[in-house]
Amino acid sequence: MIRDHSALQGRLRFLWTLIWLSGVVLGLRLFQLQILQSSRYKLAAERNRSQIIPQAAPRGRIYDRNGVLLATSVPAFTLIYIPGKRRDNVDLRPLARELARELKQDPRGLYAKLQQAVRQETAVRLAENLPRATMFRLSELKSIYPGIDLIVEARRYYPFGRFASHLIGYLGRIDPRSWERLRGKGYRPDSRIGRLGLEGVFENELRGRDGGIRLEVDARGRIKRILERIDWRAGDDLHLTIDASIQKVADEALRNSKTGRGAVVAIDPRTGDILALSSQPDFDPNALLSPDPRVVIKQVRDLPEFDYAISGNYPPGSTFKPIVAAAGLNEGLIDPDESVYCPGYFDLGHRRFLCWQHSGHHEISFLMGLAQSCDVYFYKMGLKMGAGVIERYEREFHLGRKTGVILAGESGGRLSGPAARAESGRAWYDGDTLNLAIGQGSLLVTPLQMALVAATLANHGVIWRPHCIKRIVYADGRPDYVQSPEKVGFVQLKDSTWSLLWRAMGLVVTDGTAHQAQIPGLEVRGKTGTAQNPRGEDHAWFIAFANRPGRPPSVAVAVLVMNGGHASGVAVPIARQVIAAAFGEGRTP
Amino acid sequence: MLTRAESGAKGRVDWALVFAASSLALIGTLAVFSAASPLASYASILRTHFMALALGALLFLLGMNFNYQIFQDQAKAVYFVALALLAIVLVAGSAHRGHRAWLHMGFFTFQPAELARVVMILVLAAFLDARARKMRDLSTILYTMALAAPVMVLILKQPDFSTALTFLPIMLGMLFCGGADIAHLLAFVGYGLTTIAMPLVYTFVRFHSAELKTEAAARFVMRTSHFGAATASVLLAAAALCLIAWRLSVLLRLRLRAAYFAAIPVVLSAGVLSGIFVNGQMKGYQRDRFVAYVAPQADIQGAAYHVHQSQIAIGSGGPWGKGLFNGTQSQLGFLPERHTDFIFSVVGEEMGFLGTMAILCLYLLLIWRIVAIAKLARDRYGFLVCVGLATMFAFELTLNVGMCLGLMPVAGIPLPLISYGGSSLVITLWSLGIVANVYSRRYALL
Repeated sequence: MIRDHSALQGRLRFLWTLIWLSGVVLGLRLFQLQILQSSRYKLAAERNRSQIIPQAAPRGRIYDRNGVLLATSVPAFTLIYIPGKRRDNVDLRPLARELARELKQDPRGLYAKLQQAVRQETAVRLAENLPRATMFRLSELKSIYPGIDLIVEARRYYPFGRFASHLIGYLGRIDPRSWERLRGKGYRPDSRIGRLGLEGVFENELRGRDGGIRLEVDARGRIKRILERIDWRAGDDLHLTIDASIQKVADEALRNSKTGRGAVVAIDPRTGDILALSSQPDFDPNALLSPDPRVVIKQVRDLPEFDYAISGNYPPGSTFKPIVAAAGLNEGLIDPDESVYCPGYFDLGHRRFLCWQHSGHHEISFLMGLAQSCDVYFYKMGLKMGAGVIERYEREFHLGRKTGVILAGESGGRLSGPAARAESGRAWYDGDTLNLAIGQGSLLVTPLQMALVAATLANHGVIWRPHCIKRIVYADGRPDYVQSPEKVGFVQLKDSTWSLLWRAMGLVVTDGTAHQAQIPGLEVRGKTGTAQNPRGEDHAWFIAFANRPGRPPSVAVAVLVMNGGHASGVAVPIARQVIAAAFGEGRTP
Repeated sequence: MLTRAESGAKGRVDWALVFAASSLALIGTLAVFSAASPLASYASILRTHFMALALGALLFLLGMNFNYQIFQDQAKAVYFVALALLAIVLVAGSAHRGHRAWLHMGFFTFQPAELARVVMILVLAAFLDARARKMRDLSTILYTMALAAPVMVLILKQPDFSTALTFLPIMLGMLFCGGADIAHLLAFVGYGLTTIAMPLVYTFVRFHSAELKTEAAARFVMRTSHFGAATASVLLAAAALCLIAWRLSVLLRLRLRAAYFAAIPVVLSAGVLSGIFVNGQMKGYQRDRFVAYVAPQADIQGAAYHVHQSQIAIGSGGPWGKGLFNGTQSQLGFLPERHTDFIFSVVGEEMGFLGTMAILCLYLLLIWRIVAIAKLARDRYGFLVCVGLATMFAFELTLNVGMCLGLMPVAGIPLPLISYGGSSLVITLWSLGIVANVYSRRYALL
């Protein structure tokens, strides 16, 4: 019946033509997508399903000269959030609230972080260095909120905590400006970067190369499996010249001193190795890596970053007198046997310059003049030899210039004398000479410089560049970098001058102002000092060096206790402990 | 003596049709196996799928051996059963994602809308067969629409816009092949297309106004979207143009009927007006789909996300696919509705160009067989049923695959035989059984 109806058959043919034509269109589109543009879509699918989570490499370790570990890396758990790709419009607020409770963070800050992750479609770190207990509770959240996960990372750890903080430094978050500058070097906005001290100076060596894990994630941000591990490369290890046992004693003695503020520097006068470098108040670098942001914020706000040992400028006070004496004796301008009468003061024109001992030292000659630190004796000698000679010896001992230690922020202090004064276009008066002769006035030094002066006195004039790095062990197998001593200057003095100086500095300890520095079995020589401080209590100084009888001195120390008043009671005992530690007494295991 | 062909011993079964249908069901089963595997309800999905497959196979055999002419005789009863089911589902049905489309029938659930599609074809075929003499009358088209309207309204109430939409091409195809007047059909198609085009135009202009050279024109177009002077002036201008064209044709003695010149502005005006109305009535998600279609870059994370992910899935499959269960887009949940509406993308990702071309070719084979069987049918009724089903499959294939490929706007239409869905699978197999029956009864002798 239908077969005869040719008109309807024609219409059916037309319909069929339409149908197969649309089939051809679909087929061509399939060919375009699956054959021609396949590689493009493969890439898009790959980008969809994989997330790379960078893992911080273990930083290089830092050892002391005897191989004691000062800074290392330990595994720690990091909480990350991987945003899903599904447009479910997940409300992140409950998650932010829950996490805020566990992590003790501000829920608004967390919420902002989560939202940013969703917008940029990248994983973010929410918290680092999580303690074990928190970690377990967070793993429970994992099953409720997709996208939350924990990964293992290397976390910086300082076994001694508060220890040589300024020398070693700490790790901080990279700030946005530095990140812009460093992003090419593989830093991320949430990277940590070495700040201060050696962590800062040797950032490039210590940081190594970050690794990562490429994860397969589903559309809601759940981790399905690990696709690939990108291995990290650990950082290079630093071996320091620091001796942990000395450093520990220096830190503690200074911390427990009268004011708890100041600096201690100990140097090996035979090589220039820095054995201890302490500045107080210090900080605990571990606390800056705390998972509790409130702790970190508080730490950062109160961080005593200033390193008094290398950046603090103070008048050397009487610790400068050995240099004045060296100038006078060596130039033949002081007769060591000439005695001077000290009534307790010295009048210059209308001005009266006092001796620290107001009752006066009466008849006094060179040896006791230095041992008792008689100011009147040095006033007179200073006037006799002239400020120019003293200034020349300041330069001989490398005052007024940086020692060239590798740490950042070192100050060079300030020279004082007619020539230095002339450069600033002002006149030099005899009163200035008197001040200079006892180390006050415009002369400024750092504790590191004074330690170097002590070392120079100890080794008869050789000035080494102070070093804190002994060796760098490269992780990539390059030969180690080994630091050899660097002689940067030599103070040429007559043998008689050296022996007089040593005798006088020995008397300082045995019969003078620093008798507390005596240690049985050791020969300790030194000089106390009090730096006048117009803004408060004077600063207490003590420089010393020590040796076993018959051996050359092996440690030189400078101690500064800020606002410590007179040196004898405050700075000297610290130096005594440091020297004792250097000779192996009371060494920490 | 009868020849073997005439006796039907050889030609009882159209093996090409059976091959196409079972191959598609096999590919569909594999795809559901893979696509649903990450879901929590995997086991119950598989159970439902296999039960539906078994039930569908049974209904296919039943339909094949059951005289299809019974539906012609009982058209009224069948029609009212479908209407009743659609009414019951609105009252007693269970809602899922805002659609009240499922009917709980003891131990299984059932979607009456799926049944209604095939029933509508059976009923329309009976109606058009009865009106064979008045096919060219406009009234036939109007009656057809009146017949379909209650069913469509009930389905729209669920609301299921996409399923209701499939009735239009089915009606068009059946009317066309049944012999309705081409001019009438063109008028309705023109009206329908204009109605759909208006929201597309508005959406397009809104998102591309920056690129359009004449911003003033864009503003004018947007102003017409509210009934007012701008709308009226556009319609009047169109009418005037048609009038001028008619006078020109008279002057040039082209002997074209004046009715055409009258009909064109009327159809266009009606289309524009209802298009503006639809534009105002659209729901948020429907508007988003339009946006995703005409301006996918406007919100890649939003409405266009599904289509974008689907294209990534299909494209990343390459020529050979990533292998079953290995598609990252589908297994990791980037592909939405992966075991239902977007299952073609899963096939594209996991079975590659090979798999998608297999589906396309098998579908064309299936439709070609239905069309061929329509030609062989012993009566007009069988012919019309086959035409209706062929149109239905072709439309669903084009819309679903076109959607997965980013050629068509997103519409919630499953791909029959491939997509997971018990009701759809069972009803589809049953309808193919009817086609097979039309084939087996192609000789009046039987």
